[in-house]
Amino acid sequence: MPRTLPSWLPLVLLTLAALGWRTWDLAARPMHVDEANQAVKAGELLESGRYAYDPGNHHGPVLYFAVLPIAWARGQRTLAQLDEVTVRLVPALAGAASVLLLGLLAAPLGRWPSLAAAAFLAASPPAVYYSRYFVQETLLATFTLAAILCARRWWSTGRSRWAAAAGAFVGLMQAAKESAPLFVLAALAALLATRGATQGPAPRRPARDGLVAAAAALAVAALFYSSFGAHPAGLRDALSAYGSQAARLGSGDTGHEKPWGYYLRLFAWQRNGGLVFEQAGFLALALAGLAAAVATRTALLRWAAAYSLLVLVALSSVAYKTPWHAIHLVPGFALLAAGAVAAVPAGRCFRVAAAAAALAVLGLLVHQADRVARAYASDARNPYAYVHSSPDVLKFRGLADAARLRSPGAPVRVISEEYWPLPWYFRGMDGVGYWTSPPADCDGALVIASAGLAEAVHARLHGAYDPSYLGLRPGFVCVLFTPRK
Amino acid sequence: MLRTLAILLALGSIGAAQAEELVPLKIELPKPLFVGTPRPIKVANLEPDQAANAGPLMVPAGTALLSLNKPVTSSDSSPVIGELAGITDGDKSGDEGSYVELGPGVQWVQIDLGGPAKVAAVVIWHFHAQARVYHAVVVQASNDPLFKTGVTTLFNNDDTNSDGLGKGTDYAYIETYKGKVVDAKGVSARYVRLYSNGNTSDELNHYTEVEVYGKPVN
Repeated sequence: MPRTLPSWLPLVLLTLAALGWRTWDLAARPMHVDEANQAVKAGELLESGRYAYDPGNHHGPVLYFAVLPIAWARGQRTLAQLDEVTVRLVPALAGAASVLLLGLLAAPLGRWPSLAAAAFLAASPPAVYYSRYFVQETLLATFTLAAILCARRWWSTGRSRWAAAAGAFVGLMQAAKESAPLFVLAALAALLATRGATQGPAPRRPARDGLVAAAAALAVAALFYSSFGAHPAGLRDALSAYGSQAARLGSGDTGHEKPWGYYLRLFAWQRNGGLVFEQAGFLALALAGLAAAVATRTALLRWAAAYSLLVLVALSSVAYKTPWHAIHLVPGFALLAAGAVAAVPAGRCFRVAAAAAALAVLGLLVHQADRVARAYASDARNPYAYVHSSPDVLKFRGLADAARLRSPGAPVRVISEEYWPLPWYFRGMDGVGYWTSPPADCDGALVIASAGLAEAVHARLHGAYDPSYLGLRPGFVCVLFTPRK
Repeated sequence: MLRTLAILLALGSIGAAQAEELVPLKIELPKPLFVGTPRPIKVANLEPDQAANAGPLMVPAGTALLSLNKPVTSSDSSPVIGELAGITDGDKSGDEGSYVELGPGVQWVQIDLGGPAKVAAVVIWHFHAQARVYHAVVVQASNDPLFKTGVTTLFNNDDTNSDGLGKGTDYAYIETYKGKVVDAKGVSARYVRLYSNGNTSDELNHYTEVEVYGKPVN
């Protein structure tokens, strides 16, 4: 591991570059439904100080609590004051930290290969995209890296405090998302699979340290799920979540079922509506690293290969698939790709060729990451913009404000089978109501109806209204009825 | 006695009216329910097909398709996807590869009919593989290729004047495979220009096909 400032500098600069990329123009992309309803939850916590874990449609509590210090630092105290930048800074900071953590984790591969691993993660399209996206996944991936790094430090130094730190990060993983045990088990199983290549442990009392780690994990997870003691039922709900989630996934009717090769395809090549999205070079380099892991006895590479394969098989074998899970494959693939660079035979020609290949792959990743995170950030063809809100959602608030100014006493009615992320955009606004079917009285200062309910809503309007259209997301059109002047 | 009673009743009713000061009726509105990740939409939530009940547009006998394979120019000379020639190539299918994608914001395409014509109708297919509405659609006709003089606006649903051509009063519409039929009412023009400003799914502008019907003017 680099010990002097100059040797640290490239990794620090890379982390800062990753941070810059992840925080640039954070408010530009419209809020996804998942981001919007979690941001409203975070805003309610910010405003009231109360949070109760919901095992139904939401994941772990860390995401919401992590918003608080950033909101306070930015002078925001209410849901109405909360904005996209504040909530998206949570995954952005975590995503940048993951680059630093992977660089440290990859240190046994050598100085430049470890930097290459960090760079691959920094420029990975899914990692960049979901580091700018207010959901739990990037937090979970970052805490996983931190837990693994601490566990390795404990393994090599024998110091109990590293075991406690690893346990605390496992607790944070669990408090980020209920799927955390999958990654803990995969990391441990990969360790078992590569034990022949691993040096013996330094700790003198591994059982005691293991208990310390477990206690730290339980304590941290319990703190968050119980809302720091204010909602003890959250602990029970945290356990019951597995039953309800298993029943939901087992039903096979979540609407998110996809073929087994879905995640591999994300890392390969796909053409959607005339646009090409690919990471084939990165995948090829990772596969070369897999061969290097088999050919050499580098413990880290072998562990990365086993961990990546286990996570890939586990994620692919479940019919329920969403693209944000892909980010859990990126650190392992980045380690393998860097391992391929490190494994080239000695000799100037080989080194130059390896550096050129790594730079070419990095360039393609940068191009693709820019494509998915900026140019086509909310485009339905972008494989990471999953069921994403349309840019039109940014227009609703202005129209609602204008309508309320014209008719101060009349409500804004949202009558639609689905209406998120509108509650986020209407936050802090009085006189807004939501219905999933037409109420008896549909009149209002502005009436927003899904196209499917528009005819029924129109039939219940009194007086003359002008219709216009805005999109909620691709394929979901809303009709806006505005009272005629 | 009766007079006194009447005065008392009148005063009482005034008092009652004063006691019943009017205040705004406050109605508790339902709050939004939290939901999970929405399912990808596979079936379009189209509104009832109004065009189906409208009946065919009546045009003069001898009206023919004038725009097939005619040259197309655009405010976006380098489309993101497809080529401008695809707008008049006769392919109206909703499949990938059948449409031209122009950049975000206000964009226009212009068809040169090759000579003046009595234009009877313009039919537009922006993108009909998904339920969506194109914003600020304006259709104009002129004999001036720069559209500075002699411009006739055939259709305008730009209710916010985002195109900068003036507010329109025509209704927006959901794209279907049937296309949008615009009555050109026999306007004399060589060029037809169509504007739009993004759509309900994204900020881009698309054209699968545009057909201009009419009779050439000798």
